[in-house]
Amino acid sequence: MDKTIKINLGGTLFQIDEEAFKMLRRYLHEIDSRLGKTQGGAETIEDIESRIAEIFQSQKGIGVITRENVEAMIALVGKPEDFDIGNDETRANEPSYHSTVHKKLYRNPEDTIISGVCGGIGAYLNVESVWIRILFVLFACFFLVGLLVYIALWIALPYARSDGQKMEMYGNSNINTPTHKTTNSSLSRRDFSYSASESGGSPAGNAVNEVFRAIGKVLFIILRIFLIIIGITFVITAFITLVTFIMIFFFNYPGYFSTDEFGINLFYLPDFLNYIVNPGVAPWILILTFIAVLMPMLALIYWGVRMIFWFKAKDGVVSLIGLVIWVGSLAALSFLLFSEGISYTETGRSVTNEVIENAPDELFILSGKKVTDLNYDKEISLHDEDYNIWFVDDNKGLYISSNFDVQNSDDNSVRLNIRKRSMGKSRTNAARKSEELIYNYRISGDTIILDEFFTVPSGRKWSVDEVHVQLYIPEGTVVHFDSATSDMFRHSEYHDWDSDSDDDRYIRSDRSWEMTDDGLRRLRDRSDNKE
Amino acid sequence: MDLENTKAQMRKGILEYCILSVLSKNSCYASDIIKELKEARVIVVEGTLYPLLTRQKNAGLLSYRWEESQQGPPRKYYELTPEGEAYLSDLDKSWDELVESVNLIRTSEQLINQ
Repeated sequence: MDKTIKINLGGTLFQIDEEAFKMLRRYLHEIDSRLGKTQGGAETIEDIESRIAEIFQSQKGIGVITRENVEAMIALVGKPEDFDIGNDETRANEPSYHSTVHKKLYRNPEDTIISGVCGGIGAYLNVESVWIRILFVLFACFFLVGLLVYIALWIALPYARSDGQKMEMYGNSNINTPTHKTTNSSLSRRDFSYSASESGGSPAGNAVNEVFRAIGKVLFIILRIFLIIIGITFVITAFITLVTFIMIFFFNYPGYFSTDEFGINLFYLPDFLNYIVNPGVAPWILILTFIAVLMPMLALIYWGVRMIFWFKAKDGVVSLIGLVIWVGSLAALSFLLFSEGISYTETGRSVTNEVIENAPDELFILSGKKVTDLNYDKEISLHDEDYNIWFVDDNKGLYISSNFDVQNSDDNSVRLNIRKRSMGKSRTNAARKSEELIYNYRISGDTIILDEFFTVPSGRKWSVDEVHVQLYIPEGTVVHFDSATSDMFRHSEYHDWDSDSDDDRYIRSDRSWEMTDDGLRRLRDRSDNKE
Repeated sequence: MDLENTKAQMRKGILEYCILSVLSKNSCYASDIIKELKEARVIVVEGTLYPLLTRQKNAGLLSYRWEESQQGPPRKYYELTPEGEAYLSDLDKSWDELVESVNLIRTSEQLINQ
């Protein structure tokens, strides 16, 4: 009886003890069931409520309202049945009031162990909720179905918050609560925390309920631990991703992630971007990419923290803003990439053919400029290192590996064929770009000097440029490779089916090779022939 | 016949008339009307008044305005609309007629008895 409840009546706050509160509530419910359905009933009830507030104020000031106060108030205002002043429609509605309440399934806030699902079903079926709980536990043990049904109900069923909903939950059987109209009146919006004790069950049922309550607590703790673990995972994942991203984009700091796991060194990508897109666009792409990564990571951290600390927040607006920013950044990013990508839709080629006069029987291939002599700052390898790009920061130079190949010319000529390829807005644009590629080679007599790489003219963007150098020689011609060229021909494979040794299949050293109708074949040393 | 019931019926009939009469003098808020009606011993419990006020207001006989009060929330002050005043003067007439009729009946009864 020490418990006092705060109520808001007609715009004034009152402290009221529990007994008086129940009495007042019952009284207001009666008024509501009398007048609630008549025309203008809600307004009348409001007026009566403010009058009651006035009476309480004149009685008490701000003290705690007791049973005596409520009784005195009722004596003054009168019993609801005395209100009727020949208003026939009120009378006519009265009997229908009790019968029109449709029972509905709710989650029961007055009988809750986990979420009130069983309590609600119990109220609906007018059965002690213990039995429902036992059924659910049995079903959950033998089939997973019980658990799934429970979770589905938990999500689907609304919580019976207002008195009207509680009324619908119980039907007419249990408590005399009014229908919808009083939900407008301020008193009924209170949460009746005490009411669990009102709907008591049998002692045995209560004991079983206690057991369930304990089990429910344990389940809840397990669920919490599970959520906390997931939450921590979320936060850590997002945090690491964010740190990595900040490192890449703002500090170019490789850290622990500077592996070539993706075939390229990720940390050079932002720099590389400057060589691909228009200079003005590159920072925007970086910023938008960063936002596009940042937003989901922040969301992940937020969800993680929420899971860990289990709080509720009104985050609808913030979430929506975040989502809009994220979608916006993605849209802008794809627009930028698309508009930049348009300059790389077509492929164009240009070919240079050099015929070496007086086709010599023996050819010497020497390496010209070598990558190892290049003072480059960064390297990006694509296609499993078939395609390498070296950056020289000083002159913003792009150096790209060329491709080499030696093939049978099928006639008696010796030809050096240099094919350049670029991508551009149109075929002609791409072809013009490919002509601009600078590849140096020299032919003097029977010696061919080849650079290992070609360059893109300074200031020009990278356009998936390729240079393919092909040497055609007639059958029977012997080729000597300078040992330094081994890097160039690293990936050119030649068939020498007689040997299993890699040395014979790849041009690796200063050995000599002869062109056959089957492609290049290594010339055997005398020592080899002896074997 | 239940005497209390008959009394209540009679009171109900004139209650609306009384409310309008109170308001014809002054615009009042509910508690003022209650005080006056209680003094005149027309109503027993206050609750009776509120449904009537709402009904008369909805019928266009009354209107109200909100007025701040020193203690507590603002109060509804009721007053007669022109429609309400016309309605009241009709009721005044029929009340006079009614009193006359009742008196006539009562005095004539006495005549017969004598």
